[in-house]
Amino acid sequence: MPASSATGPASRPRLHADAPPRPGLTSLTPSAEVAWAGLLWTLVRTDFKARYHGTASGFLWALLKPATMFVVLVAVFSLVFSSEPTYKFDLIIGLFLWDFFSDGTKTGMTSLAVKSYLLTKARLPGWVVVVASIANALLTLVVFAAAVVTYLVVWGPSPAPRGLAAFGAYLLALASMVIGISLATSVLFLRYRDLNQVWDMATQAGFFVAPIIYPLGVIPERFHLWLFLWPPTPVMEFARGALVDGALPSWRGHLCLAAMVAVIVGSGALVYRRHAPRAVEYL
Amino acid sequence: MSAATLIEVEGLSKTFHIPSVRRDTVREHVFGLLEPRRWEPLRVLDDVSFELRRGETLGIMGRNGSGKSTLLRLLCGIYEPDAGRIRRHAGITPILELGVGWNPELDAIDNVYLMGTVLGLSLRDVDRSLDAILEFAELERFARLKLKHYSSGMASRLAYAIAFAAVREVLVLDEIFAVGDAGFRARCEERYRQLRAAGHTVLMVSHDPRTIGLFCDRALLLDGGRIVAEGSGVDVAARYVATLTPQG
Repeated sequence: MPASSATGPASRPRLHADAPPRPGLTSLTPSAEVAWAGLLWTLVRTDFKARYHGTASGFLWALLKPATMFVVLVAVFSLVFSSEPTYKFDLIIGLFLWDFFSDGTKTGMTSLAVKSYLLTKARLPGWVVVVASIANALLTLVVFAAAVVTYLVVWGPSPAPRGLAAFGAYLLALASMVIGISLATSVLFLRYRDLNQVWDMATQAGFFVAPIIYPLGVIPERFHLWLFLWPPTPVMEFARGALVDGALPSWRGHLCLAAMVAVIVGSGALVYRRHAPRAVEYL
Repeated sequence: MSAATLIEVEGLSKTFHIPSVRRDTVREHVFGLLEPRRWEPLRVLDDVSFELRRGETLGIMGRNGSGKSTLLRLLCGIYEPDAGRIRRHAGITPILELGVGWNPELDAIDNVYLMGTVLGLSLRDVDRSLDAILEFAELERFARLKLKHYSSGMASRLAYAIAFAAVREVLVLDEIFAVGDAGFRARCEERYRQLRAAGHTVLMVSHDPRTIGLFCDRALLLDGGRIVAEGSGVDVAARYVATLTPQG
């Protein structure tokens, strides 16, 4: 702190802002005003700290929870579905991907409302807040992915390198879709404060629309197209094919998934762009 | 515009539309489809124009509800105007609603990082300024205490310390020097003078005639969303006091 005749000794440390005004920041665009990468990292880090009370054991629990759940599910399903060895993996993959989708979209929807204390203080890119909000769900997904891949590599059926790469791409596609949905719902939630309850109902029904606890094959083929329009469905089916069955979908399947991601992210960004400028007025 | 103008405000207007019945949920919108609402326009700012020149301190005074806070939020880009234009030719550091906006579950250091990055500091900037921020706020001993255990005065001191570290070319201050004890206020005033000496431009809102008269080269008086007086800080402060005094 600068020396102050009123309050303190001359040896106080100085704030760097004593330098002349920085001339480079001449426009009030988010990229110029806020170092968004630093903001994103700080939001993610402080969210984890607040959630796990800033303790190492708390953070360790965040890592252990999905890993432990994976071990428990493998053990239980190995007993229950011992006659169908691949079904347990289909089920576990479906459950974890669904958990990420459900958790990520729920926290993404309320992200701007929860961070209203920041958004009303300064202009900052709200999309960073939305993206940061899914970090915890993403961490769980990454730990699960590491656990399932490790298990399959060690105990088989070992997935091919191509399958692993494809699995990574599917996770990226799912995360992109969660961000796209969250961008739209985060601004709409500010106007419709029970949207989270509506979404809760939708995801409850969606759990059974996605082929999580049943194999897609039990549904007549003429309904498959409709089921595949529910975003988690293609990701689950493709991920199971890549990891467990060793069969990648056709290029047309990949194209459809890419188109779905583009439509969801594009629509989410459009809705966000339309409503974000006045979002703060609803906080 | 001259090269000395940092912010130009032309014909700025802002209206909030207040519904006769408030509907905040999907359920209320669906059930209210057959009951149309009336919207009452509340014009908070009406055709406001002014310039902020490099190196000056411009004060804004006005009674509660005169549009001061909305004007600050528009200038800082937090609100969007309905009409008119704001041209910003310099970076702005907003210091609004001090003491509000902390994450109570985080300690002072994490809140410094959070608020610092929100105000535009890089992580390296925060690293470099952290000790100075805590010392200015006189909170070194409580750096690891969660904000929920802070008094409002401690939280406000921390807010000022961060804001004074994140300062860009233009500082926008809401009710500066209104917090803390006499010693801390004196340090804030000293800090303000240093920033002015370093060439920063300041726009400040205050209800305090002394603050406006003492620190502002120029001032505006807002009433009903319009500028009703403009002049030196001393003159506008006197005019503001006169508006508060019942006419005999």
